[in-house]
Amino acid sequence: MSTLDLSSETTRRLHGRRVHLGDLLLQGIAGLAALAALVVIGLIVWKVIDGARESLSRFGLGFVTTVAWDPVHNLFGAGSFLYGTALTSLIALLLAGPLAMGIALFLTELAPRWIQAPVTALVETLAAIPSVVVGLWGILVLAPTLRDHVEPFLHRTFGFIPLFGNPQTGHDIFTAVIVLTIMILPIVSSISRELFLGVPSELKEAALGLGTTRWEMVRGVMFPYARGGIAAALILGLGRAVGEAIAVTQVIGGFVGTPVNLFSAGDTLASKIASEYQGAATNLETSALIHLALILLVFSLLVNVFAQVIVRSVARRQGLTGVRR
Amino acid sequence: MPKSGLFRTTIALAVAAALAAIVAASAGASPAKKQDTTLTGAGSSLIAPALAVWKPLYGAARGVTVNYSSVGSGAGIKAITARTVDFGASDAPMTADQAAACNGCVQVPWALTATVPVYNIPGVGDTKLKLDGPTLAKIFLGQIKTWDDSAIKKLNPGLSLPSTSITVAHRADGSGDTYVFTDYLSKVSSVWKNEVGSATSVSWPTGVGGTGNSGVAAIVSSTPGSIGYISDAYVIQNHIAKARLKNASGRYTLPSIKSIGEAASLVKTVPADMNVSITNPPKTKNKKQWDAWPLSTFTYIIMPATTARAHDLKNFVTWALTHGQPPIAKYVFAPMPLVMIKAANKALTTVHS
Amino acid sequence: MSTVDFARGNDRLGRRRLVNRGMEVIAWLCTGIAVAILGIVVWSVAKRGAGAINLDLFTKPYVPFSLGKVGLADAFVGTIVIVLIATAIALPVGILIAIYLNEFARPVVRGGVSLALDVLNGIPAIVIGIFVFGLVVVGRGQSAFAGSFALSVLMLPLVTRATMEVLALVPSSLREASLGLGVPRWRTTLSIVLPQTIGGVLTGTTLAVARIAGETAPLLFTSSIVSHEVSWDPHHALQTVPVAIFQLSESPDPKDHARAWAAALVLLLFIMFASMTARWLATRSRRKLRRAG
Repeated sequence: MSTLDLSSETTRRLHGRRVHLGDLLLQGIAGLAALAALVVIGLIVWKVIDGARESLSRFGLGFVTTVAWDPVHNLFGAGSFLYGTALTSLIALLLAGPLAMGIALFLTELAPRWIQAPVTALVETLAAIPSVVVGLWGILVLAPTLRDHVEPFLHRTFGFIPLFGNPQTGHDIFTAVIVLTIMILPIVSSISRELFLGVPSELKEAALGLGTTRWEMVRGVMFPYARGGIAAALILGLGRAVGEAIAVTQVIGGFVGTPVNLFSAGDTLASKIASEYQGAATNLETSALIHLALILLVFSLLVNVFAQVIVRSVARRQGLTGVRR
Repeated sequence: MPKSGLFRTTIALAVAAALAAIVAASAGASPAKKQDTTLTGAGSSLIAPALAVWKPLYGAARGVTVNYSSVGSGAGIKAITARTVDFGASDAPMTADQAAACNGCVQVPWALTATVPVYNIPGVGDTKLKLDGPTLAKIFLGQIKTWDDSAIKKLNPGLSLPSTSITVAHRADGSGDTYVFTDYLSKVSSVWKNEVGSATSVSWPTGVGGTGNSGVAAIVSSTPGSIGYISDAYVIQNHIAKARLKNASGRYTLPSIKSIGEAASLVKTVPADMNVSITNPPKTKNKKQWDAWPLSTFTYIIMPATTARAHDLKNFVTWALTHGQPPIAKYVFAPMPLVMIKAANKALTTVHS
Repeated sequence: MSTVDFARGNDRLGRRRLVNRGMEVIAWLCTGIAVAILGIVVWSVAKRGAGAINLDLFTKPYVPFSLGKVGLADAFVGTIVIVLIATAIALPVGILIAIYLNEFARPVVRGGVSLALDVLNGIPAIVIGIFVFGLVVVGRGQSAFAGSFALSVLMLPLVTRATMEVLALVPSSLREASLGLGVPRWRTTLSIVLPQTIGGVLTGTTLAVARIAGETAPLLFTSSIVSHEVSWDPHHALQTVPVAIFQLSESPDPKDHARAWAAALVLLLFIMFASMTARWLATRSRRKLRRAG
């Protein structure tokens, strides 16, 4: 910042108050571009609210809790998709969170130097795989494997827990959970890694010097230090899981209801939109689908603003510029 | 930055905005030209095989390329309503609401085909399984849960049915097949009619959704114990076992050019909106009609009554109704009955540019 | 007394070491699982895709219900067209935004806009698809342009962020020297500062292209009703590689699956190649900037 002020100071000193037309034009066009970005966000919000209007006025707030999607009787509600979204993304986060912490700790604390760079690159490659490819793998490889081997085993062993009911097609909530876990793992782990790298080494050395083991240092120094950032990383992972449409549509099966059995078909907000938006039978159904998109949009706005504010405050505290998604 | 910074930015924005407006205006002045040698359509996956056959034939005969995207009947109606294509295609006639929304659309029947229940039961071969309407409805309602249920056993004496649980597969997208299938179930089961009803997309009591005929076929062919419904053309392409279905005359039939034609031969008059349902044809003693397939359907092309492409569209549909019928017989499209062709031609006269 | 205490302390130390050891093993395992997942996915794609890659895939379009030799040439061409147009939209706008934020904007504006860009980056792609459908497609029809516009919205925050990062790295001495010599600010920015960032902007753009080339959701409602003809005309909807994979993945036909795997492999190879190029560009340009500083 100081350099900017300094340079504009220099200009003023040299040119007095004279302003170049070129300066004005560049500033104007660049400013217009920045404005355009804001306008796009505004347009997105407006278009989605506008599209959802019919459903909003017809179903109101009750839409959120209604578990139904019945084009024949014109009854629509987001209940089952909110349930499906919450179930899939929370379990995925539960699986991916600890795994990601493990990876981040490994990469910052344990890995020999020569392993760090390649493994970091590998984990980041996982993030680069397009969701449709993960979905392709999910529907053709993962789903049959889970259906034939993993799900029957879980059902036999933990069948007394209602979550592990009777396996059916492999196109189910459980497969969607695994797919989502894979997709959010690299996001959470790479942010956590950067956070852990930002922990001042004096703090870590001080703790180790006091005779703690490495794990005690991690628990006592690194986790508390990076707490806010880790929360942000998890929230961003959650946001990603909630918004993922394609890979989930490919594997989740599609079912309206609130099944407790993970091995039955379900739907999330995003997957319902992806599978039905093109073929919606009536204007009301289209509007109801955009209403689902509105819920997604509001959620993603909240999640991102919240997480970014945390990330920014963490970055400011640590003097880091590298912490981001 | 000092106070003047804000002032400067405002002036700068104004200058740039003026510039941008000029650029945008000049860009908008040159609209996209549309090629007139192609017709673009979208919709029903039931009719997709026919259009795949027609495309090269019609291209060779008339020099017009017909591009078709199989996105499902619901999406087809939506696409023509939004005028994002030259024509839509649907197996379900438009509802009153849809017709109103479509703002002056004409629907013309242009092919006759069928949907069929398909299954994947270990040890039960193609066409071995017999079902009747009420049993099929109970399966799709989730009331019959295993293949060795007494209701199914009763219809299939001598067939050894496993105790495998039944997995229902249905369409996840809006589909004409779903309309035909649920239309039939509504006619044979009052529970179905009251609780679920018929439409291109319904609230399924049970099961797993797949996208398109392909999606359902994929689930059924990969899932032991599953049952679904797909259009006959896709059965032929993918070698999936299809079930015999008992019609109102008490005969167990299979879809074929003959049995679909029998169902269609019962049509005597055609209403102005072309809405003709030929599912579950009534009981008859006439041997020429008693094998009628209960899941037969006409399928429709939908186009705007007023369109710049009227000439090309009318030519194409007229061709499809005549020269187009024989080559699609290999995908189990039966010839259209005369009364329907007459009605179709009459409807075509209302399309103009 | 003291011996007992000593022994107990020793015992506790042992347990603490054991816990530590256990946690280390778990961390190793976590990393192993992640790498294994990557390996399994990539191996699945490579194994099934490699056998199905042939010349027809790139030269012949897809023909539904055809038993003959068909490929996915329509999808590859469509992806090239749509991604190029998206880049042509997002790149200049993104660079301009970055210039504004870095060179002109007050800190408050800068913070606000960059937060907005991060939020934009977090909006689910499927919502962007709905937005573009409502804004552009309704009434006009699907087109490759509509698809490009949707992808450019996804690309914009990525390009802007990358450009801002390199702009911040450009040594202030360079700006000051130029301004001091009487070169006006706009020329300093465009001809002195911006050229320094080319490497970094290229890196960011390459990464962004790699990211959007595989996006399906924004194209589902904007460029999916297609004719399967090889066409470079962006006025019509064009098939794309991700949408083709999405559709073929739901097919019951093993030949379609093979095509989907092959397309997925080509897409993965492209993305990996792009990421590696980006990495290489990044190290190169950073070295150059450091030397300049």
